[in-house]
Amino acid sequence: MSEDVRELTEEEKADKERRKIKSAGAMRELMTKYYIEAKGAEGTKRHIAWITSGAPVEPLIAFDVIPVYPENHGAMCGAAHMNVELCEVAEGRGFSRDLCSYARGDIGSAITRGGPIGGLPRPTFLVACNNICNTVFKWYEELARFFDVPLFIFDTPFVRGELPEHLAAYSVRQMHEYVSFLEKMTRKEYDDARFVDVAAKSLFASALWKEVLACNEHRPAPMTCFDAFILMAPIVTLRGTQEVVDFYQGVLEEMKRRIEEGIGILPSERYRLLWDNIPVWYEMRNLGRLFMELETCLVADTYTSAWTFEGVDAEKPLESMARIYTEVYLNINLERMADKIESLATRFGVDGMIMHSNRSCKPYSLGQYDLAKEFTRRTGKPALIIEADHTDSRWYDRAQVETRIRDFVENLLGSGL
Amino acid sequence: MEVRTIVEECLELWRDPYPRLARLGEEGERPVGVFCSYTPEEILHAAGLTPVRLMGAVRAITHADAHLQAYCCSLARTDLDMALAGELSFLEGAVFVQTCDTMMRLSDIWRRNTGFSYHGDLVLPIRMGEEVSLPFLIEEVKRFRRGVEGFLGREIGDDALEESIRVYNRNRRLADRLYRLRASRPGAIDGLSATACLVAGFWMRREKHNELLHGLLEDLEGSEPIGGDGKLPLLVSGSVCTTPDLFELLLELGADVVDDDLCCGHRYFDAFVDESAPPEEALAKRMWERVNCPAKHQCIEDRFQRLVRQVGDSGAKGVVFYLQSFCEPHLFDIPYLRQCLQEELEVPSLVLESELQSFSRGQLRTRLQAFIETISGV
Ligand code: SF4
Ligand code: SF4
Repeated sequence: MSEDVRELTEEEKADKERRKIKSAGAMRELMTKYYIEAKGAEGTKRHIAWITSGAPVEPLIAFDVIPVYPENHGAMCGAAHMNVELCEVAEGRGFSRDLCSYARGDIGSAITRGGPIGGLPRPTFLVACNNICNTVFKWYEELARFFDVPLFIFDTPFVRGELPEHLAAYSVRQMHEYVSFLEKMTRKEYDDARFVDVAAKSLFASALWKEVLACNEHRPAPMTCFDAFILMAPIVTLRGTQEVVDFYQGVLEEMKRRIEEGIGILPSERYRLLWDNIPVWYEMRNLGRLFMELETCLVADTYTSAWTFEGVDAEKPLESMARIYTEVYLNINLERMADKIESLATRFGVDGMIMHSNRSCKPYSLGQYDLAKEFTRRTGKPALIIEADHTDSRWYDRAQVETRIRDFVENLLGSGL
Repeated sequence: MEVRTIVEECLELWRDPYPRLARLGEEGERPVGVFCSYTPEEILHAAGLTPVRLMGAVRAITHADAHLQAYCCSLARTDLDMALAGELSFLEGAVFVQTCDTMMRLSDIWRRNTGFSYHGDLVLPIRMGEEVSLPFLIEEVKRFRRGVEGFLGREIGDDALEESIRVYNRNRRLADRLYRLRASRPGAIDGLSATACLVAGFWMRREKHNELLHGLLEDLEGSEPIGGDGKLPLLVSGSVCTTPDLFELLLELGADVVDDDLCCGHRYFDAFVDESAPPEEALAKRMWERVNCPAKHQCIEDRFQRLVRQVGDSGAKGVVFYLQSFCEPHLFDIPYLRQCLQEELEVPSLVLESELQSFSRGQLRTRLQAFIETISGV
């Protein structure tokens, strides 16, 4: 396939400009400011905590600790095509190529301070929650050794069916322990009013985020999930702050305006698909182009909605958050995952699903074959599984993946199956 | 029975336990598959079921590829493959202890695609050994017991459970005695034979295994060492050894395994269940305080300190890490463990990854030979 080298006409240029998502600029500003502040805090009195994406960040915000997310940084390194070299550093130290590439890249970056922003600021302590995977606590144990700093583990055993009371109680006990840990680290006292305020903002931002994602139920969709992958950075890293609330208010307004004006993200939208698993960060641009050419919009995904929390009780924020963090998407059984996928498929009116079988991420990927079958059984729609790795491009076969996607869209969806 | 005969029988079981397992039913036993050393086998035993360990098999994958990606460990893949091929139909079901991400997903996949009448799940905390997790673990053990009772359609009496706890504790004492004997009387029994006699217990009723170990120990303790001196002492660390090949090859190459840090070895029988405490609490407590597996966070230094002690005590001159490809919990610890061994003890190590579907004894031999030659300075 030759790349699109033809000059765009004035009209096409204007159309492209009109369809561009303007909030992306605000997002970049917000994230740049955040990273500058975080990096500037290194070596000062401010506390910096490295934290996993699924861990409760609200207590950190309430204690004025700067949260830093190696996973977000990993995505950035991946998108900048810089994660492979970082992985190789870790591999040189004996870390197997079969370990999660976020972990490998992060360990590599900690050693060399490599990556697009010259590495992350040194942590004063670490917080890991295994609600997304059990990789994270092994990875953070390594970081704790490397930086010689304390590590708090928020342990969220797997939830099968309904959340059992003894598991909820375990989470709540740890939430209290987490607060004591932070009191010790920061030498500050827990301030309930402050925490309630942070929790409320976090909740509000997450509700806004949910509304933003829901805008894609509309046809044509005002964005693709690739845009959502980019726009989700603040909800992952900074929820609980006022800036994030303001930011998502802006995004929501923009999406609503697009819907009113009938502006879709694609020039034409014939098919609507659901995406499963973490993005293939280094390949977003190419895949985006391919889907545009195929007039196919990825309208929803199982990933970005992980940060839409429900059921926080403002009276008991610690307790209810402890429960919510235990029941996230990757910590539940396949049947419950299938329910979520089915509900996304119905709400967003999709024609099929693409699942990224992600070599790096076992909790997300093992079980996908069964989920794909279950999806088709329940919805009557086809599913395609593609092989990749979220940030290690050495495992990616572009030609093969593109052919498979093309065949899927043109033959399967095109034939009306 | 003669020591040689006992060892030979155990070795035969280790090489291929499945024909034997298939006959258990005829002998009136009700086998249930278990994968993990954290399984509270006492509860199954007290229920009249016979827990038998599934440690994968050397085989080509024909059915499991439709459910598990190639980047999943070969224990999960070959076990599932046997189940889907109908080769495990002698089982009443299986118990899934959720130690790693793979096991947690395998449980669902297994339940959805096989037709066994029993399916047990036990969810574990990773913060073993810390006060905060113990109440949760005790409740999990209770829930697990209720699950077994639900399957049986009757209660498991406390007295039966206490009896099973005694049987398993005796087994741990005997295993410990065997390991001590091996350490204190070099040449009395080699690593291959000792490990074979231990793992054979995974595939028979525990009372029988106690008799076997008891007989073996009586004989060994009263007889002269049967040779094996002058071998290069090594320690093996990792998950499970599906076949005896590694141990056999080491013997052939002039080395011997003098101690191990394996899930089918030393880690299996560590710590006792308190016979004076309420049974579920006691079972939970043992899991919680036993040597932790790499899939658990107990305390960061724990594995390393223990390994260093074991290497020091056993006089091992090298460590062979034997683990499954794609196994995150084990793979993560490797660089740190190797570095510590090298820096603190100057003990070299070798990492071997096992993929049962493409197992090659020849390759294993070459790597081991090179490693042994480096240590011996040949
Ligand atoms: S990509 Fe998967 S394995 Fe890696 S940190 Fe995220 S959830 Fe864990
Ligand atoms: S070998 Fe590793 S990945 Fe496989 S089941 Fe065991 S702990 Fe899990």
